[in-house]
Amino acid sequence: MPASTDPDAVLSGGDEAGPPPPARATARTGMSWYEASARQRVAALCDAGTFAEFLGPTERRTSPHLPLFDLPRAFDDGIVVGRARLDGKPVLVAAQEGRFMGGAFGEVHGAKLIGLLRAALQVRPAAVLILFDTGGVRLQEANAGETAIAEAMRAIAALRAAGVPVIGLVGGRAGAYGGGGLIAGTCARLAVSESGRISVSGPEVIETNRGAEEFDSRDRALVWRTMGGKHRRLIGGADAFCDDTAAGFRAAALDLIARAPAFDLATLEAEQARLAARIARFGDCRDAAEIWARLGVNDPDAVPAMEAAAFAETVARVEEAHHDAR
Amino acid sequence: MADWHSEARLRDERIAAGRVLADGKVVPAGAAVDLLEAILRPGDRVCLEGDNQKQADCLARALAACDPARVHDLHMVQSGIVLPEHLDVFETGIAKRLDYSYSGPQGGRIAKMLYGGQIQLGAVHTYLELFARYFVDLTPHVALIAGVSADREGNLYTGPNTEDTPTVVEATAFKNGVVVAQVNAIVDRVPRVDIPGDRIDFVVAADKPFYVEPLFTRDPAAMTETQILIAMMAIKGIYAEYGVRRLNHGIGFGTAAIELLLPTYGERLGLKGKIATHWALNPHPTLIPAIESGWVSQVHCFGSEVGMDRYIRARPDVFFTGRDGSLRSNRAFCQTAGLYACDLFIGATLQIDLAGHSSTVTRDRVAGFGGAPNMGSDPHGRRHPSDTWMKAGHEAQGTGDPMLMRGRKLVVQLVETFGDKLVPTFVERLDALELARRTGLELAPVMIYGDDVTHIVTEEGIANLLLCRDADEREQAIRGVAGYTEVGRGRDRAKVEALRARGVIRRPEDLGIEPLDADRALLAAKSIKDLVHWSGGLYEPPAKFRNW
Repeated sequence: MPASTDPDAVLSGGDEAGPPPPARATARTGMSWYEASARQRVAALCDAGTFAEFLGPTERRTSPHLPLFDLPRAFDDGIVVGRARLDGKPVLVAAQEGRFMGGAFGEVHGAKLIGLLRAALQVRPAAVLILFDTGGVRLQEANAGETAIAEAMRAIAALRAAGVPVIGLVGGRAGAYGGGGLIAGTCARLAVSESGRISVSGPEVIETNRGAEEFDSRDRALVWRTMGGKHRRLIGGADAFCDDTAAGFRAAALDLIARAPAFDLATLEAEQARLAARIARFGDCRDAAEIWARLGVNDPDAVPAMEAAAFAETVARVEEAHHDAR
Repeated sequence: MADWHSEARLRDERIAAGRVLADGKVVPAGAAVDLLEAILRPGDRVCLEGDNQKQADCLARALAACDPARVHDLHMVQSGIVLPEHLDVFETGIAKRLDYSYSGPQGGRIAKMLYGGQIQLGAVHTYLELFARYFVDLTPHVALIAGVSADREGNLYTGPNTEDTPTVVEATAFKNGVVVAQVNAIVDRVPRVDIPGDRIDFVVAADKPFYVEPLFTRDPAAMTETQILIAMMAIKGIYAEYGVRRLNHGIGFGTAAIELLLPTYGERLGLKGKIATHWALNPHPTLIPAIESGWVSQVHCFGSEVGMDRYIRARPDVFFTGRDGSLRSNRAFCQTAGLYACDLFIGATLQIDLAGHSSTVTRDRVAGFGGAPNMGSDPHGRRHPSDTWMKAGHEAQGTGDPMLMRGRKLVVQLVETFGDKLVPTFVERLDALELARRTGLELAPVMIYGDDVTHIVTEEGIANLLLCRDADEREQAIRGVAGYTEVGRGRDRAKVEALRARGVIRRPEDLGIEPLDADRALLAAKSIKDLVHWSGGLYEPPAKFRNW
C-alpha cells in the first residue's frame, strides 16, 4: 500500500485494499478478540476487504532503539494503522499488537498512531477507532514513548474538538495500561469486553511499590474485579460492554459512533463533576464489590460470574453507568 | 523374659501425655504445640503429611514452633517438602534426617541446605517406594495428617483429597504409632468415614482449612503453538499408532494440550473410543472437554483438584466417588494403577541426556519427582497383555519366541528442545550427577532411567527408542530430535537420516502433520472460562486462574 499523506488518497480506500486475507484467518467463525492478532481484529472488525494499511510490514519501519538492547524488532513495530469502511462509512483504524513487547509504545509505534490521528484531522473520517492492546510505554525507548502518549492525547483532543469521534476498543490480552490507559481516557467513548482491562498502573507495578497486602497481582480475580471490563462498565468508565468477538466490538463501535458526545465546555465540566462525585462516593471502598453494592447492585459477589444478558440487565439499573460526560 | 510389648507401652505413654491437653480426642489449635511436645520423643520417625497437593499445615506450623530442647533430631519421612516449615525444622535442629519424594517450591532451598549439610538426606524416593518403606524400615512413630472433618470419636472425612492419608495411617496406627489429624471442622457426623476413628488418637481443630495447591490446573490461554504441534505429533504418531486406551498424563502444558486436542484434532482423525478412554489421572480441568464429548470412560485419581468438586459430583459414571457423592482419591492405589494397568505414561522433564536418562534436578534446584518414576517405568511384574503393550514389546525385541516375549510400557517424554528462559533440555551430562557428587549421594537423583523411555517427542519430531538396537543409534536418535541445542547440533547427519529412513525418527511431515496447522484455534478450550462453560458452570476455578 502507498504510504501517502494526501488526504484524498488516505480515504479513497475500499477498492484498492489488496488481496483478501488468507483463508486461515477468515475461516474462523466466532474468533475470540482476546486471542486474535491485531491484523485479524482489524480484518474482522471492518467491512470485509476494505482495510488498507499505511506503513505496513513491507515498509520495515522498525524501532531504531531495540537493536541497542539486542532485542528483536517487528516490521510494523507492533501497531497496524490504516483506513477502512465500517458499515459503508470511511474510518481510520489503529490496532496495537499485544504479542509484540506487550503492545508497548515506542518511537515508531507512537509516531504511526499520531500520524493517523493528525491525518484524520485533515480528512475527517466518520470516526477513528483505536484497538488498544498495550502495557504502556516501552522501557527501552521510554522518552520517545512518553512523548508519543502526550502527543496522541493532544491529537485526540484536537480531533474531537473538530467533531470526529474517537472510539477506543479494549479487549486484548495486554489491556490498556500505562499511557494506553491515559489515551483511552481521552477517547470520546470506550467499548470493553469482559477480559479487557483499563488502568494506568498495572497489578505487578502496584504490588512492587506497595506490597502484596495492598494488591496481590497473582489474584487474577482481584485484578479483573478492579480493572476489568465489568467494573469499568458499571462505574461508567467504559460506555459499552460487548462479547469477546469481532461482531460484538463492531456493533459496539457503530453504536458508540452514533452517540459520541460533543467536545465542549459543558461536556468537560460534566466529566469533571462525574469524576469528583465518583471519588467522593467510593473513595473509601476497599474492593470493587463494595463499590458495586453502593451502586445498588443486588448481589455484588455474583457480578464476576454473571453471563452477558444478566450483566446487561444489571448495568441498565445502574445510574452511574450512563452519562453524557467524557 | 522377652518383652513383646515395649512399643505398645511407649505408644500408651505418648497418648497419656497428650490426653492431658485434650477433651476426649479433641485438641484446640492453640494447644497443638504442647500436644506435639508431649507425644514426640527425640529421634522419632515422623510423617508430616504433605504431598504435591494437600498439606497438614496447621500441624506443620506447630511442629516448627516446638522447643528444640524437647523435640529434636527427628527423622522426617514424608511425601512432600512443600511448605517453608518443612525445612524450618531442619534449621532449628528439630529434624535431622529426611526421606522424601517430592519438592516443588522448596527445591531451591533444599539444594542450599543439602550443600550446607543441614539435612542428612536418605533418598529421593518414588511415591510407591516411600510408601513401601513405611511398612518395612521407615515406619513412622508419629503421623501428623490432614482431613476435612472428624467427629469426636476421630472418624475422619478426608474429602476429595484423600491422597496419602490411608497409607500413612495404616503404617502408623497398626505398628504402635500415634496418629494426629488436623481437621477443618469437628462435626457430629462425618459425610463418609475415610479413616475409622480407632486409628486416630488426636484430632486438632485447625485454625484455618488445610492448604491445597491447584497443581494440575493448566491455563489454556498460556498454551503455545509449539506445544500444540508436539501434542498433535503425540496423538497421531503414538496414541493412534499404538491404540493407547489406558494411560496417565504428567502435569505439563504439552499433555494438557493433548487433552484439549482430543475433541477437535483427535475427533477429526476418527480416534474417539479408540484412544484415551481409561485414565489414572488427577481431575485435570483440561480434561473436561474430552469428558463432555464422550471420550472418557473412567478416571481414577491420586488426589483431587481445587475447584473440580462440583463437576466430579455430577459425573459419577466417570470418577470414583463415595456414597456421599464426593471424589475418593488414593495416591497409593492410583500409583499402582498407573504402574501396572496403564499402557502409557507421558510427561515432561527439565533435562535429558544422550542415553535418555532424565531428571528435574538441576544444579540449584532439587525438585523431587512425584509420580513420574512409578508411572514412567516398565513394570517387570506385569503379566496381562494388551495390544499397545504387545506392539511396543515386539518393536523392542524383534526376535525370539513370541509366547515368551515381554510387552513394553510406553514411556514418553514430551519436551521442547529449549525450556524456560531458553535453557536447553538436552544435555551431555545431567546436573543430577554433579549434585550427587557434591552432596555425597551414592545414587544420582534420576527421574526416569533411559532404558525405561520409549519415545521422545519434541517440536522437531518423534524419536522411537524402542527401535534403536545399540547405544550409538539411541544417541543419534536423541540428537536427531534435539533441535538447535548443542546436543542437537552435534548429530551425525548421515546416521540421523538413516534412522529417519527406518522410521526411528519421524518429522512432522513424515506423520502428515503441517506445522502451520498447529494453531490455538484447535484447542477445545482457549481459556479457563471456556472450561467453565464446557462444565456447564460446575467447574469453579480458584481466583488465581480467573480473568473475570
